[in-house]
Amino acid sequence: MTDFASGDGASGGSGFAEAVRTYGLFKRFGGQIAVAGVDLVVPRGGFAGLVGPNGAGKTTTLSMITGLLVPDAGSATVGGADVWRDPVAVKARVGVLPEGLRLFERLSGRELLLYNGQIRGIPRDEVARRAEELLKVMDLLDSADKLVVDYSTGMRKKIALAAALLHNPAVLFLDKPFEGVDPVSANTLVEVLRRYTASGSTVIFSSHVMELVERLCDWVSVMNQGRIVAQGPLAQVRGAGATLNDTFLDLVGARGNGEEGLSWLGSSSA
Amino acid sequence: MAGLFVRLKLRLIAGNLRGDTMRQVGFVFTLIAAFLVAVGGLLLMSLLRLAPADVAVDAGMVTFTVLTLTWIAGPLMVFGVDDTLDPARLTLFPLTPRQMAVGMFAASATGPWPLATLFFLAGAVVGLSRTATGALIGVVAVILQAALCLVASRAVTTALSRVLRSRRGRDLLAVGVVFVFLLTQLPNLLLNQGLGADPRLMLAELASVVRWGPPAMAAHAIADGGLAGLAEIAVVALVVIGLWWLWIAALRRTAVTSDSSTLVGSVGRSRFDALLPGGALGAVVAKELKYLRREPRGRMGWLAAVGFAVIFTFSLFSDPSGSPGAAVTLAPGCLAALMIGLQSANAFGIDGRALWMNAIVYASPRDVRTDLAGRHLAVCVVAVPLLAVLSIGAALIAGDVLWSLQATAAATGLLLVGLGTGAVTSVILPYTYPDRLNAFTSAAPGQGGAAFAGAFGAMIVTSVLALPFLLPALFGVGWIGLLAVPYGLVVAWAGRRLASVIGYARLPDLLGAVSRPS
Repeated sequence: MTDFASGDGASGGSGFAEAVRTYGLFKRFGGQIAVAGVDLVVPRGGFAGLVGPNGAGKTTTLSMITGLLVPDAGSATVGGADVWRDPVAVKARVGVLPEGLRLFERLSGRELLLYNGQIRGIPRDEVARRAEELLKVMDLLDSADKLVVDYSTGMRKKIALAAALLHNPAVLFLDKPFEGVDPVSANTLVEVLRRYTASGSTVIFSSHVMELVERLCDWVSVMNQGRIVAQGPLAQVRGAGATLNDTFLDLVGARGNGEEGLSWLGSSSA
Repeated sequence: MAGLFVRLKLRLIAGNLRGDTMRQVGFVFTLIAAFLVAVGGLLLMSLLRLAPADVAVDAGMVTFTVLTLTWIAGPLMVFGVDDTLDPARLTLFPLTPRQMAVGMFAASATGPWPLATLFFLAGAVVGLSRTATGALIGVVAVILQAALCLVASRAVTTALSRVLRSRRGRDLLAVGVVFVFLLTQLPNLLLNQGLGADPRLMLAELASVVRWGPPAMAAHAIADGGLAGLAEIAVVALVVIGLWWLWIAALRRTAVTSDSSTLVGSVGRSRFDALLPGGALGAVVAKELKYLRREPRGRMGWLAAVGFAVIFTFSLFSDPSGSPGAAVTLAPGCLAALMIGLQSANAFGIDGRALWMNAIVYASPRDVRTDLAGRHLAVCVVAVPLLAVLSIGAALIAGDVLWSLQATAAATGLLLVGLGTGAVTSVILPYTYPDRLNAFTSAAPGQGGAAFAGAFGAMIVTSVLALPFLLPALFGVGWIGLLAVPYGLVVAWAGRRLASVIGYARLPDLLGAVSRPS
């Protein structure tokens, strides 16, 4: 593992304050090990990317950090509080946009935000004010009274992000936030997230889009087969000269297939 | 092409069953049921030979018509659009509509039910034909009738598949299912009312209604066996060809149109929400009340509860031997209360995959308790007035409006007990409601056992816990009913308390159990 974090991590006291840290997170589904001892470190403030091929364990890891899935072994802390021993502190501090956009389909966008804010104990008037602003920023005012079940993918991501931001969390976990989103919506999401991190909050997102990770992130963790294979500041993980995509393909060992065979492909005579 | 589609259908059936014991068991039951229908139908239809000729032909015509209607309504009501036959999945292949129609017809004809239908109908050749030519015409008529069933069913499903694939269409269909179930109770009611005095006369009347429909003509042709019969099967053949043509046209159209139902419609902003208490409790109540209105699976349950209670009321009091009294007044309200309460036996199931939104917030058992309390409050806000109306209705028919007081109290108590029990089963035996409606399972694959145990357990426990006030009320100690409400409140409170401790401890499990893919 190429770990640029361990040298100057919080344990050394010289580097940065941690937003998230996990210790040997482990999860097995049946006979398959999904996450095989993950030690994830994410510094406070800015964007951190979690990248890896399909099935690397990114979603499972994020689910365990946010308290939606019980790990078989290991622990996780958010802002120094243990996810499983101090859930009150952690749950108030995190916002989540999970994979698959599972929302309350039969509420309208506005109702969804109101519901979310109120079960978090925010006064109704305050929730309404924040919801209105979020809807406006997300460009959802016209569809605010449509049922979420009728939303498009881009709209769903935006309303889910609005719901995740409503209580102003210190750390935001986003599972593939930009996949399936049109460029206009993606731009809106990025703008909102930039404003959010500017004040010292942290965004941790998983993605397959290397260009986006390269453009947004200050910090990258690369996962493969249930482990972290590299993590640290973007420039260090990327190395000199290469693109993040090249470094990523090298790290996960996926180079040089697809050259043999397929000789029939490309001449559309048949 | 036909052979390819038949193999595709067989492979899809096999693939569906692979590695899933519950589905394998389900399929075995389907096979047994189809076998019983095939053999039973064959025997019963053959037995018509022993009946007088006019009765036999009347019965044949009615049976053929009912069979055709079953074929048309069955796939719509029970399965939604059958996956294997959704033409949208085939539109990208270079197939002409005619090839597709031939292929899909072959695929439709593959399976236990078409075969069972053919056997069933074959019985009619034995039962109805009176001459050798009749038997010959019968063979043709039976094949045509089977084709009619298939083509009619496919044409209607295809024509409606656009509607069925849209969200609104499926929402409507869900409610339609309840009405069909309620309609099946209608003959019962009519018989109770004494309308079925002469079954023979009724059969003749029914037969005269359906006489000129194609299925009845096919049946009549077998019995006739002469030139008229030939003319009749010619008409049936024309109808089959016509439906086939309509089916191809519908296929052609569905291939290039899409669901636009999601582009319309906003919901009004609720003013009622402002009346609710703020905070988590009010938020949950508001959400639940909206789900009651907007979630078709929930609506189904409520409609069924009220519908059955109303039907029950009428059948109870139309029975001349029964003695209407205070005790009988209890029945409709309590039946509805039990059915509504049972819906809460898997309270988190309706949230399904969205439950994480709560799980990410709830940080103590107290939060879960508030959530459950909100759900219970929402159910009561709607259910208690409903139970009161049902009880008043029953009391009016029974003869004394005052009886409705204790009936409402007992029903409300029963509902509260049901809610308390349901809270506990919701966290012990949670399961996923499938997105698609299906009459045979109300749970995701593999969770049928949990669903059954949850519903059955909740029903038993609710009934037992309600005995302290239901028994005395049934035996005429009316005032006991008034104690039912405080008793129910205590049980509901205890249920919530127990459920919140268990539920909070296994929140991630709960989340997993209600968000299975289905």
